[in-house]
Amino acid sequence: MAEKRSRTSRLAERARELAPVWTLLALIVFFGVYSESFFTLENFGNILNQVALLAIMGTGITFVLLTAQIDLSVSYMATLAGVVAAYATAGHLPQPWPIVVALLVAAFLGWVSGAATAYLGIPSFMSTLAMSLIASGLSLYLTRGRILFDLPPLSKTLGSGRIFGVKWLVIVAALTLLVGHLVLRYTRFGRYVYMTGANPKAAELAGVNTRRIVAWVMVIAAFTAGLAGVVGIGRLGSATPTAFDGMLIDAIGAVVLGGTSLFGGVGGIPQTVVGLLILGVLRNGLDQVSVNIYAKTLITGIILFAALVFNILFAGKKES
Amino acid sequence: MEPLLRLSQVRKRFGGIEALKGIDFEVFAGEVHALVGENGAGKSTMMKILAGVIPDYEGEMAYKGRALRLKNPKEALDLGIAMIHQELSVMPELSVAENIFLGRQPTRGRVVDWRRMFAEARRILEALGYPHVEVERALGDYPLGVHQLAEIARAVTSGAELIIMDEPTSALSPMETERLLELIRRLAEQGKAIVYISHFLEEVTAVADRITVLRDGRKVATLRAEETDKAELVRLMLGKEARFFERTELAARAREGKPVLELTHLSRPRAFEDVSLALYPGEIVGLYGLIGSGHFELAETVFGLARSSAGQVRVAGKPLRGGPRRAIREGIAYVPPSRRSGLFLEKPVYQNVSLPWLDRLFGPARELAAARRVTEEVGLRPPDPARNVGAFSGGNQQKVAIARWLIEPPKVFLASEPTRGMDVGAKDEVLSILRRMADAGTAVLLVSSEPETILAAAHRILVMAKGKIVAEYASGEVTKEMLVHAAAGELKKSA
Repeated sequence: MAEKRSRTSRLAERARELAPVWTLLALIVFFGVYSESFFTLENFGNILNQVALLAIMGTGITFVLLTAQIDLSVSYMATLAGVVAAYATAGHLPQPWPIVVALLVAAFLGWVSGAATAYLGIPSFMSTLAMSLIASGLSLYLTRGRILFDLPPLSKTLGSGRIFGVKWLVIVAALTLLVGHLVLRYTRFGRYVYMTGANPKAAELAGVNTRRIVAWVMVIAAFTAGLAGVVGIGRLGSATPTAFDGMLIDAIGAVVLGGTSLFGGVGGIPQTVVGLLILGVLRNGLDQVSVNIYAKTLITGIILFAALVFNILFAGKKES
Repeated sequence: MEPLLRLSQVRKRFGGIEALKGIDFEVFAGEVHALVGENGAGKSTMMKILAGVIPDYEGEMAYKGRALRLKNPKEALDLGIAMIHQELSVMPELSVAENIFLGRQPTRGRVVDWRRMFAEARRILEALGYPHVEVERALGDYPLGVHQLAEIARAVTSGAELIIMDEPTSALSPMETERLLELIRRLAEQGKAIVYISHFLEEVTAVADRITVLRDGRKVATLRAEETDKAELVRLMLGKEARFFERTELAARAREGKPVLELTHLSRPRAFEDVSLALYPGEIVGLYGLIGSGHFELAETVFGLARSSAGQVRVAGKPLRGGPRRAIREGIAYVPPSRRSGLFLEKPVYQNVSLPWLDRLFGPARELAAARRVTEEVGLRPPDPARNVGAFSGGNQQKVAIARWLIEPPKVFLASEPTRGMDVGAKDEVLSILRRMADAGTAVLLVSSEPETILAAAHRILVMAKGKIVAEYASGEVTKEMLVHAAAGELKKSA
């Protein structure tokens, strides 16, 4: 009796876990039926290209969410990294140092908000919110509000170049996701990330330095955000003081849509990939079926909200 | 004379368990009536009926001569029955006066009349014998004794005539305890009735007029305090027929070599004070105490989860400092008293088991193999290390918590309440795992508030009360009665 019940509840759990995949398939079928241009190889290329920057950022956010923290500064960190790379290039710092400096600046600021959360106990939503102002402020200060057009050549290549007909941007995104996945799945650090999120008290009892783990995931999130910024300016062709500010909701939204728990310990890169595709297909498909363009954001918002409700219900079920 | 409150033939069952089996109880105005008994004797059920928390019971309650049935705590409060819980409901950020008048501040029109509130608070505290407390200051600035005072003052000002106090002294220092007992006497002299629940029998005999002893949901006796003593109370609480597992013949093991764990003058504020002890390889030392006596906190501190304020921990002669990671490296293992806080219920057994050892044991295949070995050793059922821990029964979850430390046998095993909430069979299994570990050379500190658990496994027994080690038994016959008696504590005079 108990055996049977636990089996059906496990099936139910499995169905819930796979819900994002069903959502994605349903969206693909829906847009495939209602739009003639949706089911083309070219359009799939478009979708991948559209979500590539989100994917780079989303990799770091996945780490942060797995430890039950949040990072609200990633988009501003991307903007800042782009600005720093362009600023240093304009200042004739030899290549590739502008890019290295940009990534280090992002990682360092990530460490600052991470340490504030891990060692001082400032909730991560607050420490990263404050950090987003610092990052945004630095971007404005360095550019004086202007647009910078001197970009590192590597940024241009990775942002808008192709190799064998495939966009470098898509390759960078895929590699970032892959490295993230390998770290989470096949390293001790990755296991510590999951266990810290699943039950921080128990992780500490088993000798895991949970504070260090929390500080590190926030460094990772800032670093991948910086990478998105450095590549992103190449795609835009310029660095502006607000270039990627609007990406915050999409980047976090994609990770949550994929099913990574907001309470930590459950999820991962495969889930994030599904979430990215849901978001990409949705955005792209809504363009294809020529919905009123003023309704696009509303529809995306409703779907994200529904995913959040689902995420919470799922976590609640596990608690009981 | 009419009793202020009377219970007649009160019964209460929870599912199949009868918690109260026909209780008669009365308390008079101007009387301190203590209620004592072991955990599970029915004290808290009775208390909850008196305070209106449990409205569905069999039997009668009469208050001031009128039969009534309380439907909720609010109704009890309105009639003048106040309950002061062990966990105080005060707000440390608010002033002492605001805490006293919480929810019923004196007002002028629609705004709080601060001046009147402060004046009245001052008057009340003076009447209660605490004229030095500044009512304008934040309650959090004062020690716990004053928090308790604020809560009592709140009950008094709300017009309470019957005040129920649940373990009011368990967190207080000896001096604070003494002052509280004086306050309770003063309240009784002012005509209040007090129902006083406590494990600390010396305090009970000092403060109470009468004492009612409960055992297994029945009233065993109601005695006049001056005609009884601690020894008689313990006997009545435990009953005559001590069962076989309630006594043991201790045989301390021959101590070979040097102690593997030494604590010298270890202190942690509000937890324990000046604790010294030594553990030798191969022995199981039982550390018994009532909940709140500091024994769980001691184990936690040795493992590095909390800092001590003074004293030293040494492992195999070397001073130990730092957090759990360091402790594990030095060969210390720890199981916390609450299973949920130590395990990852949503993760498979093998990940729970391998977590402390990932620096040498990483990769699902190796982890599974190691987990299979140690879960077999503890007799995990079903023997499936790939299953989530949450899918196992409580007893088997505890086996997982212990199995983790068998990957590499520890020098010292701190096991806090390892058999809590288990049936007899599972308890026995867990204790025999501890015995096997000791036989293999581990020093086990078995920390528990269940005398039966300690008596069943320990070679040597230490008893803690109010943060101090108050008794040690190394040989001869030890009974549950002796342990409970020692843990029930002395009433310390503040000299």
